[in-house]
Amino acid sequence: MRKYNGFWARLYIAVCFAFFYLPIIVTVIFSFNSSKSLSHFTGFSLRWYSALIEDNEIVQAVYVSVTIAVIATIVSTILGTMTAIGLSRSRKVLKDAILSINDIPILNPDIVTAISWMLLFSSMGLAKGYFTMLLAHIGFCTPFVITSVYPKVRSLDPNLANAAMDLGATPVQALTKVILPMIKPGIFAGILLAFTMSFDDFVISYFVTGNGVKNISIVVYNMTKRINPIINALSTIVIVVIVAILIVVNLTPRIVEKRAAARRAARDAAGAAAIESSGDSGIYRPSEHRHRRIGAGALIAVLGIALVAGSYAAAKKSSSSSAGAVRELRVYNAGEYMDLSLLDRFQQEYNCTVIYETFDSNEMMYTKLLAGDQYDILVPSDYMIERLIKEDYLQPIDWSLISNKDAIDPNVMDKAYDPGNVYSVPYFWGSVGILYDKTVVDKKDLKDGWNLLMNTKYKGNLYMYDSERDSFMVALKALGYSMNTTDEKQINDAYEWLIRQRRTMDPIYAGDDVIDNMISGNKAMAVVYSGDAAMIMSENDKLDYFEPPEGTNNWYDAMVITRDCRNVGLAHDFIDFMLQEDVAEQNTAYVGYSSPVKAVYEKMQKGTYAGIDAYVPRTGYGKDEIFGYQDTDIKKLFAQLWTKVKAQ
Amino acid sequence: MKHFRKLTIPYIVWCVIFILIPLLLIAIYAFTTGGNEVRTLNFTLSNFAKINEATYIKVFIKSLELGFLTTGICLAAGYPLAYIISRAPEESQDMLIMGVTIPTWINMLLRTYAWMNLLSDNGIINTLLGMLGIDPVHMMYTNFSVILGMVCNFMPFMIIPIHTSLRKMDHSLIEAAMDLGANPFQTFRRIILKLSMPGVINGVVLVFLMAISSFVIPKLLGGGQFVLIGNLIESQFISIGDWNFGSAISLILAAIILIALRLMKKMDLKEVEEN
Repeated sequence: MRKYNGFWARLYIAVCFAFFYLPIIVTVIFSFNSSKSLSHFTGFSLRWYSALIEDNEIVQAVYVSVTIAVIATIVSTILGTMTAIGLSRSRKVLKDAILSINDIPILNPDIVTAISWMLLFSSMGLAKGYFTMLLAHIGFCTPFVITSVYPKVRSLDPNLANAAMDLGATPVQALTKVILPMIKPGIFAGILLAFTMSFDDFVISYFVTGNGVKNISIVVYNMTKRINPIINALSTIVIVVIVAILIVVNLTPRIVEKRAAARRAARDAAGAAAIESSGDSGIYRPSEHRHRRIGAGALIAVLGIALVAGSYAAAKKSSSSSAGAVRELRVYNAGEYMDLSLLDRFQQEYNCTVIYETFDSNEMMYTKLLAGDQYDILVPSDYMIERLIKEDYLQPIDWSLISNKDAIDPNVMDKAYDPGNVYSVPYFWGSVGILYDKTVVDKKDLKDGWNLLMNTKYKGNLYMYDSERDSFMVALKALGYSMNTTDEKQINDAYEWLIRQRRTMDPIYAGDDVIDNMISGNKAMAVVYSGDAAMIMSENDKLDYFEPPEGTNNWYDAMVITRDCRNVGLAHDFIDFMLQEDVAEQNTAYVGYSSPVKAVYEKMQKGTYAGIDAYVPRTGYGKDEIFGYQDTDIKKLFAQLWTKVKAQ
Repeated sequence: MKHFRKLTIPYIVWCVIFILIPLLLIAIYAFTTGGNEVRTLNFTLSNFAKINEATYIKVFIKSLELGFLTTGICLAAGYPLAYIISRAPEESQDMLIMGVTIPTWINMLLRTYAWMNLLSDNGIINTLLGMLGIDPVHMMYTNFSVILGMVCNFMPFMIIPIHTSLRKMDHSLIEAAMDLGANPFQTFRRIILKLSMPGVINGVVLVFLMAISSFVIPKLLGGGQFVLIGNLIESQFISIGDWNFGSAISLILAAIILIALRLMKKMDLKEVEEN
């Protein structure tokens, strides 16, 4: 039993650490990659590091993550330790009650806790942002501190504190001189756990934040469409800083300690008898010195990062927005759906601040609105705009303020979701189709249309889009029905089609990760949006885009102004700005989706996206449709059926 | 004995505002219909009745299976590591535990993306295999990739509490047991395992909870066809907008976890009593 630092033990540690660090090593290596690829190393470069310093959003996110983690850790450690000590002295009923309640946030799935706090903050009328995120972080860290401190307190002999007080110590002295030193390991475990939980949290932060306050996780999540290697550079810096400081903190005292080793050894020997007799009750050991030092070192490290990032962020902010700029515009757009440098330009030209937030899906955006979050401009899709109009969330556009009105292609105006464009100004538009690998998929098989996705030759070689409306659109169109059908038999047929496809074809229901997967050529086929297809095709020339003859979804995303918009004039300025020819051109070139500005759309077909047919979605085809508004029952039916398909 | 009792007061207030009231909101949703407006309350049990359907039950079973499997692997692999670390010299222990903790400070989503790049069909591992002349292995979007991602992310939360209780263990007890004639297996079972039980229970509970309710890792590494309870709840709240049904599932999940926890606590108490 003594040989636990032998060869096998070392090997085992090495294997485990290799496993833990493999993804991190990959991250570090690819932070030096000269291209955007995350699986093929094309050469050494520092471009992502220089891009990092330039990236305002990430610098701000570092500041938010670190300061929130530090404050939440400090507050929750104090609150949790106080409670744990108090509980050990409380009556059993109260103790059990509090401990059970304390378990709830730990037990509940993050998503439920997140939703419940979102509801709470909305009903309390708190403006969502830094403060609500901080409250939530304290809220989920404290229970963890209590669970790690309380067992330590419980294992303490209660007579120790009483003895101290009998000997004349005040309660405060008994607390700081007797209890706290003995439960220190528990407190450090709590600190470590709280900091880790807070620093790494995504789900809860995502729901309780607002007004453009983002932590690192939220920024990373928003990058899912196109993973941004800048974040690899950031992680690498975080790792290097933490490791460097730990080494310094650990090595310096070790040298000092070696000198004192002899003295300490003598003292330990003397104390050994006492330790033995008092058994296992959190004896103060020399190692805890080091424990504390590590904690302190880590704290200094993160405070250092926070300070640097914070002052940098502050400096950036003050330089980017000149004095006296109080005009604000809150824009809520889909993720990776705008060239963000355009925002900087808008802020400068119009002397204002844009608070830019992104959503994952139209439904996500709707949930946020329902929970009472406020925005000035939204960029939803057609059917969601129809819903928002019906539910009175929007205000009409004052077209006299849109000077670039005539630049808009009349073909993308006046659609069924908003006849006469009373409420909406087109942002991007396109279709849905099949992106396929020309070297794998036989051209002759394309005649099957959507049923190509049922061809067992390509079993296990395709991605479907993980969204109920898009998947049911494919099935309904393949069966020759309208994608807006409310006929339960037709819907059921489509459900059967999808189930059959699931069984025979083994498709992957992918989200935006389909983009990176198709660029790397992982599978032969994917159902994608035209703009994503255009972007993917510009990176992988083996692919082609195909709109099946049974018809497809013609979709339009448009800018709308909310009913409770605080600066209607500025909102119109923003919409007008996005339609400006050079702005629209830069945006469409960056995102890959088809521009509603006619001149830009035509120019792109000859320039950046020449030869890429996905940039030119099919128009005027009788079998193509636009999604319409679904009433709640039909929407639920589709959603539940889709859940069933996926959960097969 | 009465000293320090007042220290709990702030947290009692906190609990009411930040735990009980939000929980009440969820419970209201679970037992009502009428869309997402709290104003129109209609008591119903239909949200719970809906769960009694083959598909949803399958989701629950699959989540439990994966939860047990992930927890089991974390325990089986993490316990030896925690033990080895606890027997290392004092100086190395802190470094090693720090080494276990650091990966958790690197963003979880980011580590998961790194796994995606490692495991995908044209990813790093398959590229390396290709260089060795081995056919590519299909790893992404399988049980394997999901469990791998979860184990990698959650194992530190198993190791740290086990290590904490092993570290404070008095090693002379082991020697005493051996001296008294116990074989290594008996020593392990009767002394080491027993004394580290609080840590094991903490770790198991923590990992099981995270595994059973996680939705980001299954979504990214398993694809959309990988529906676990967490994904089901997420989709009810976010994409479907049926908050009532979502709340009902959450309550059931909480109940399952509560039962599991009660069982664990009983074991814990038994251990304490036997000691």
